[in-house]
Amino acid sequence: MKTKLLEVKDLEKRFKLKKAVFAPPSFVHAINGVNLVLHEGETLGIVGESGCGKSTTGRCLLRLIEPSHGEVIFEGKDITHFTKSELKAFRKQVQMVFQDPMDSMNPKMTIGEIMAEPLISHKIPKAQWQELLTSTIKLVGLNEDHLSRYPHEFSGGQKQRIGIARAIILRPKVIVADEPVSALDVSVQSQIINLLQDLQEELDLSYVFISHDLGVVEHIAHRVAVMYLGEVVELADSEELFRDPLHPYTKALISSIPRKDPDERKERIILKGEIPSPSSPPAGCKFHPRCEFAAEICKTKRPALKQVYGREVACHLY
Amino acid sequence: MPSILKVKGLSTTFSGKHGDTTVVDGVDFELGKGEILGIVGESGCGKSVTSLSILQLLGKKGESSGVIQFNDMNLLEQSEKAMRGIRGRDISMIFQDPMSSLNPILTIGKQIGEMIEIHEEASGAERKLKVIGLLKKVGIPRAEEIYREYPHRLSGGMKQRVMIAMAIACNPAVLIADEPTTALDVTIQAQVLDLLKGLQKELNMSIILITHDLGVVAEMCDRVVVMYAGQVVETADTRTLLRSPKHPYAKGLVHSASLVSNENKRLNSIPGQVPLPGQFSSGCRFADRCEYVLDVCRRSQPSLSKLDKNTTCRCWLYGSKEAVQ
Amino acid sequence: MARLKEVTQSLHAPLMKEEKNPALVQKKLKVSMFWKVWNHKRAKYHLIFLFLFLVMGIFGPMIAPFDPNKPFYDALLQAPGKEHLLGTDALGRDVLSRLLYGTRVTLTVSILAAGITFVAGTLLGLISAYVGGIVDNILMRIMDILLALPSIILALAIVAVLGPSLTNAMIAVGVSSIPSFARLTRSAALTIKSSGYIEASRSIGSSHSWIIMRQFLPNITGVLVVYTTLFIGGAILDTAALSFIGLGAQPPAPEWGTMLSEGKNYIYEAWWLATFPGIAITVVVFVINDFGDVLRDIFDPKSVN
Repeated sequence: MKTKLLEVKDLEKRFKLKKAVFAPPSFVHAINGVNLVLHEGETLGIVGESGCGKSTTGRCLLRLIEPSHGEVIFEGKDITHFTKSELKAFRKQVQMVFQDPMDSMNPKMTIGEIMAEPLISHKIPKAQWQELLTSTIKLVGLNEDHLSRYPHEFSGGQKQRIGIARAIILRPKVIVADEPVSALDVSVQSQIINLLQDLQEELDLSYVFISHDLGVVEHIAHRVAVMYLGEVVELADSEELFRDPLHPYTKALISSIPRKDPDERKERIILKGEIPSPSSPPAGCKFHPRCEFAAEICKTKRPALKQVYGREVACHLY
Repeated sequence: MPSILKVKGLSTTFSGKHGDTTVVDGVDFELGKGEILGIVGESGCGKSVTSLSILQLLGKKGESSGVIQFNDMNLLEQSEKAMRGIRGRDISMIFQDPMSSLNPILTIGKQIGEMIEIHEEASGAERKLKVIGLLKKVGIPRAEEIYREYPHRLSGGMKQRVMIAMAIACNPAVLIADEPTTALDVTIQAQVLDLLKGLQKELNMSIILITHDLGVVAEMCDRVVVMYAGQVVETADTRTLLRSPKHPYAKGLVHSASLVSNENKRLNSIPGQVPLPGQFSSGCRFADRCEYVLDVCRRSQPSLSKLDKNTTCRCWLYGSKEAVQ
Repeated sequence: MARLKEVTQSLHAPLMKEEKNPALVQKKLKVSMFWKVWNHKRAKYHLIFLFLFLVMGIFGPMIAPFDPNKPFYDALLQAPGKEHLLGTDALGRDVLSRLLYGTRVTLTVSILAAGITFVAGTLLGLISAYVGGIVDNILMRIMDILLALPSIILALAIVAVLGPSLTNAMIAVGVSSIPSFARLTRSAALTIKSSGYIEASRSIGSSHSWIIMRQFLPNITGVLVVYTTLFIGGAILDTAALSFIGLGAQPPAPEWGTMLSEGKNYIYEAWWLATFPGIAITVVVFVINDFGDVLRDIFDPKSVN
């Protein structure tokens, strides 16, 4: 049995909607009752379409967004009640890689300064800096000369390498990567994915890999959670999930990936309608208005995530 | 297949503070009638500029040369006024970002109506009827209501449908779709691609589909043009390209996109990055990233040469001759 | 590790711009700001003018031909001529000398006033933008109330409380423009706040002061420099105005506003009394304001280059 590193229990995040001054406050449930477990050395993929709450979940894991309810347990302790100093120690262990490498770097700082930022805030003795900086930048496939340059001198792929370098310089245990390759070109995407996989092996990292690109997730993740409108609808081993999706939404999602093989003409499931707005989600199962198997019960009762064939699915069909 | 649009030796240069930059350099391709042609390549390869050059939408700083043959006329020789008559009526375009392509202060009905008003003579009532028909055609539910709605009330997928309705309003012969589904979610992408394919059959349009996603190409296109650093490096029919790409860049692209891992579970990738316009070497532009690179590749540039009836390739490995520069 | 090395080498990504050694690049970037300003067609002349103005402020008393307060009783209200280049006033004091001494007063007062505005305004604006929520709301509502009054009226009120003197005028001018400066800083900082690198820095565990000092400040310095320049121009005008109505520098101190005020009584008999200080104020304020505009063009990446 692998050890649990990070566990999310019944996580919920409400955002208050701005309305008129005296109107009763109304809320949007960005995520609603999410349960996840990340094991040591594993990559947990979170996939879903826009508005499904995958990025909010990722940010709640680091308390970049304060969850409204629920627990995030890291190495046995609930981080949602951490004090400032405990939180700081926690952030040394859990780092984040962002989607837009351009936007996530201060244009006025050199690469060296950007990478040294975590060293400063966690008071690493200056004597170790040089060693850490050079070894880390080499780990991500750049070299020492690059340390004194500015972000605008680099291409997108190189910037993402620097973003990864910043995340691993403190040698954390977990990296939450929010769409780390979606802003990159296809050929560069695979470079970065290879790099992430190498680093995982080299540094014993665990990843939470958030992406809308199912192909990428299929490749990199060991287990995958599929989210729809703030809820996890299916959670399974990557291989099983892609070979035999159970939830109707997962089925549609996987069949919508454009096939790269010209001879494989599979009949696609084209979902009807749009993703409903998270501020007025449908009652019952949130997927029922678009689901071809929707029954009466789906309109009223929200299905819970339950064990089916050794995996977890939230659907009344099972 | 008779060709409807023929691009020959298209070069587009932008003048800037630090001199001129040639972004598109000698692009040749043909678009057959009723064909869906894909143009693929990574960012900065010139695929979008190529499409803007066809419609002469480059602004003051861009300048194109070469020949763009459409219905016996060279589009590059047409006056701005003549081009205005062609845009939207004969050749129309949809863009990647439907959010910024719609005017936020006009209703959907008004915006599509305007398109018809510019190119056709029709009374107000006729126009309205036609617009509603178009909205229904692109699969928008409650078309009468949406007719009166403003763009911000619609989701991304709906907006892209509106853009498509606008583009096909005057039954154009050619539709240029520049990354039409890149901003959309994957289930919505499937809907929009389905719609485009259906419309193409129904209206017998020719479509130029610009994309970076080979999956989209595989689903949609009959033939593909692969661009790299402002040049066409390979053209082939979709099946041939995806099954047996010739040019090393096309190979790299197909292999890294298919996410097939090699023996040690690593993805195939192309080392390095796309050179920026203005920093192209005088030899083959892919030489620095190519695993099959020869001496000759660094010395001189290969020409685009014909391998068989449907396939052309710009590579010394496939018997290209030296390109005339 | 061996495999990683292999990967590293196989990638050995060539930089987009392969040139120069890194130390050089860094040095160049720091110096380049000055050259950017210097190479601008108008800014060069502004810089020269402001430099001369500064020199005049520092060395004015040494260049001045006479003591600014020494009365020449034999030459009351003398028109500009050989001996007194810009004439004399009703007490027989040399206008040129007074003007030169006044340069120093104007310079110190306006720079200190702008300094007060800059420090307090930046602080308030940054706190407001960074903390957000209720703090932002309260601070900005207070600023809104203060902004509802013209800054000169606000300055008047402050001087009325503190009593008329040059120091108090300076404080009044400085304080009265804090609200608009704070608002400008806040809006500049808000655009930075939404950048990814702020969130990235938070995710690393950086402290608040670090984020403000190292992430916010460097990215809004350009904007702040532009605003401060414009505010110096305004401070000169406001100080002169306060002195003009007798609430700033007290006679016999040589101050441009005071001189203007003394000169207005003799506007028909001795035009030179009011004219020269007036010209001095106009020219200096014009140059500083235009310099601010030029700086904005240079610092703002969106401006057409």
